[in-house]
Amino acid sequence: MRTAFRSVTGLVTALVILAGSWTPALAQEWTVGASISLTGTYAKPGKYTQEGYLLCEKDINDKGGLLGRKIRFVVYDDKSDPPTAIKLYEKLITEDKVDLVMGPYSSPVTNAASTVSEKYKKLMMASLAATTSIWERGFKYLFMTISPAEVYLEGLVDLAVERGLKTVAVINEDTLFSKAAAKGTIELAKKKGMQVVFHEAYPKGTTDFSALLIKIKSLNPDVIAAGSYFDDAVATTRQMKELDVNPKMYGVTVGGDLPEFYKLLGKTAEYVYGSSQWEKGLPYPGIKEFVTNYEKMWNREPVYHSAAAYGACQVYAEAIKRAGSLDSDKLRAELLKIKMKTIFGDYQVDERGFQVAHKMVLHQWQDAKKVTVWPAAVSEGKPLYPTPPWQRR
Amino acid sequence: MTTVHITGSMLLQLVVSGLLAGGLYALVALGLSLIFGVMRVINVAHGTLLMLGAYTTYWLFTLTGLNPFVSLVVSMPVLFVVGVVLQRLFVHRVVEAPELSSLLLTFGISIFIANVAMLAWSADYRSVEFLTGSFLLGPIALSKPRLVSFVVALGLTGLAFLFLHRTKTGKAIRATSQHRDVAQVCGINVRRIDLITFGLGAGLAGAGGSLVSVMFAVYPEMGQVYVFKSFLVIVLGGAGNYPGAFFGGLLLGLVEGLASLFLTAQLSEVIAYVLLVIVLLVRPTGLLGGRT
Repeated sequence: MRTAFRSVTGLVTALVILAGSWTPALAQEWTVGASISLTGTYAKPGKYTQEGYLLCEKDINDKGGLLGRKIRFVVYDDKSDPPTAIKLYEKLITEDKVDLVMGPYSSPVTNAASTVSEKYKKLMMASLAATTSIWERGFKYLFMTISPAEVYLEGLVDLAVERGLKTVAVINEDTLFSKAAAKGTIELAKKKGMQVVFHEAYPKGTTDFSALLIKIKSLNPDVIAAGSYFDDAVATTRQMKELDVNPKMYGVTVGGDLPEFYKLLGKTAEYVYGSSQWEKGLPYPGIKEFVTNYEKMWNREPVYHSAAAYGACQVYAEAIKRAGSLDSDKLRAELLKIKMKTIFGDYQVDERGFQVAHKMVLHQWQDAKKVTVWPAAVSEGKPLYPTPPWQRR
Repeated sequence: MTTVHITGSMLLQLVVSGLLAGGLYALVALGLSLIFGVMRVINVAHGTLLMLGAYTTYWLFTLTGLNPFVSLVVSMPVLFVVGVVLQRLFVHRVVEAPELSSLLLTFGISIFIANVAMLAWSADYRSVEFLTGSFLLGPIALSKPRLVSFVVALGLTGLAFLFLHRTKTGKAIRATSQHRDVAQVCGINVRRIDLITFGLGAGLAGAGGSLVSVMFAVYPEMGQVYVFKSFLVIVLGGAGNYPGAFFGGLLLGLVEGLASLFLTAQLSEVIAYVLLVIVLLVRPTGLLGGRT
C-alpha cells in the first residue's frame, strides 16, 4: 500500500515537473484574452477597439515580442451583452488559460467582465471604460486608460474661467454617462468659482427642448454645458438657434466631435465646443507612425477607440517589461507606479487603478473644421470668443 | 442654483411654442381619427406612415434639393397610395372584426415597415437643414421652421375639413363614419370609402412626417412618439370627432409646453398622460363629445 502510494506520488511529481519543463517549449507565445462587441449596439466602436489591439499585437511582435515571446490576442464576440462577456472571460481564463486579459469595449461590459478577472486575480487593463463607479468597488486588478465622464467638459469650464465668465447652465440626458458628465462639470465649475444657475436632466429620447431652453434663456447664463449624446446635441443646438438663446460659450460632451455633427447642422455648428478623448493631430510620441500603420493595416482612419485600445496595450507591455514577469501582483505594483505618454496621451493612475493623468481635448467648430483649443499645450488654434448672437451670424 | 422666475414673456413664448407644436399634432391625429371613425380600426402603424413621409421629404431634399414644403406634393400622394395598398391587402380584413384584431394587424405592419426602413436606410439620425433660426418679436422668438410648418398644417387641416363637408366623397366618408350599415343602404360603396379613407389618413400622416422632418431628426423609429400623442389627442377631442381632433391637438401642445415650465423636463412628459386619465374618468367621450 505504502509503496503504491509512493510510486503514485512519484509519478505525479515526475509528471508535474515534466509538464512544467515542457510548457515553455510548447508555448512560443503569450496569449492575451479579451471579449469585444463585434455585433450588437456597440459593434461600431467595438470593431475599432479590436483593430487597435491587433495593431498593437503586430507592432510588439515586430519588435521581438515581450520577455522573449511573441504575443497573440484571443478575441471573442460578446454581442454587446454584459452577461455574455462574463461567460467569455470565464472561458478565456479557465479553459483557454490565457496569460493576460485586456478589457472589452464600454463601461457596462467592463463593469461585468471585470468581476471575473478580479475573481481569478487576473490583471485587466481596461481600455474603454469611462465610468467612475467601476473603480469604486475596491477591485485590485483593474486599471483604467481613458478619462472619466466627469472631466469631459473640464476644458469648457477652464476656458470660461480664463475669460472671466461667471454663470453656467448645465443640462444632461438622464442616463449613467451623461449624468456623471454633468455632475463632474458642476463640481469643476463650482470649484473654480463659477455659479451654476441652472441644472436640469431630460429623459432619453427627448426631441423638443423648447421649454428647457426658454428657462435657460430667462437666466441668460454665460455658458451652457450639455451632457449629451449625438442626437440630443444636434437637437439642442438647432433649437438654441430657433429660440435665439445666446450664451458666450456652448459645449457638448459626446456628439460634437463626430463629422456628422457638422454635416447635419452646417453653419449652425460653428462656434460650438465639443470634447474628445483623442485626435489624430495631437503631439503625442509615436502618434504619426500609429496613424500611418493603422491606415495601412485597416484601410480607414483610427478613431479614439482605436487609439485607447492601442495605448492601453502599450502601457500593459511597459509594465510587463519592467516587472519581468506576468505575475498579477508584480504587474499591479508596476502599473500603480508607471507614468508614461503613449500614442493616446498620458497614463497615470491613483491607488484604485483610476486614471488621473489622461487629458481630454476640447475643440471648437471653426469654418467647418474641428480646431483643438484646449489644453493650451496641444491646441491648434485660439477659440473664437465670444460666440456671436444668432441674429448677427 | 438660481430659481427660474416665470415672467409674462416666458409664458407667452411657451404658449406660442405649444400652439405651434399643437398644430402639427392636430394634423397627424386627424388622419388617425378619420380611419378610426370610418372603420373602427386602431391604426398603430400611423407613426410608421409618418416616418415614410419624413423620409420622402428627406431624400427629395438631399438628392434633388427640393424645398421640403413643396415636397408635400409628392409625399402626400405617395403615402395615399401606400395607404390604399395596405387597406386593399390587409386592413380590409379586420374592418368589421373586434378592435383587438386591427390593433395586432397594424402593430405587425408597423414593426415590419420600421425594420425594412432600418435595413434600407440604417438607424442613423438624419435631418433636413432647410429653414433654421427664428423671427424675433420683442421677447418672443418665433422659430421659422415651426411657424411655417404650423401654417401648412393648419392649411391642410382646413382643406381636409372642406373636403369632408363640401364634397360628395367627403360627405360619404362622414356618413359611413356615422353609421356604416345605413350608409351602405343609402347606396354608398363603403368598401371604396374605406380605401379612400385609409389613403387619406395615410396621406395626412405623410404630410405630418414631411413637416416634422424640417424640425426634428428623421430616423426609422421617429413615428412612435406621434402615435402615442395622436391617441391622446383623439381621446381629448373625442373619438371620431374631427373638430375635436383639431382642438385636442392644440390643447395637448399647450399643456405640454406649459407643464415643462413649472416642472422638470422629465415630469412634464407625465402631465399629458395624467390629462388622458382625467379625461377618460370624467368625460370618456372626449371634451367635445363623440363622433360627428
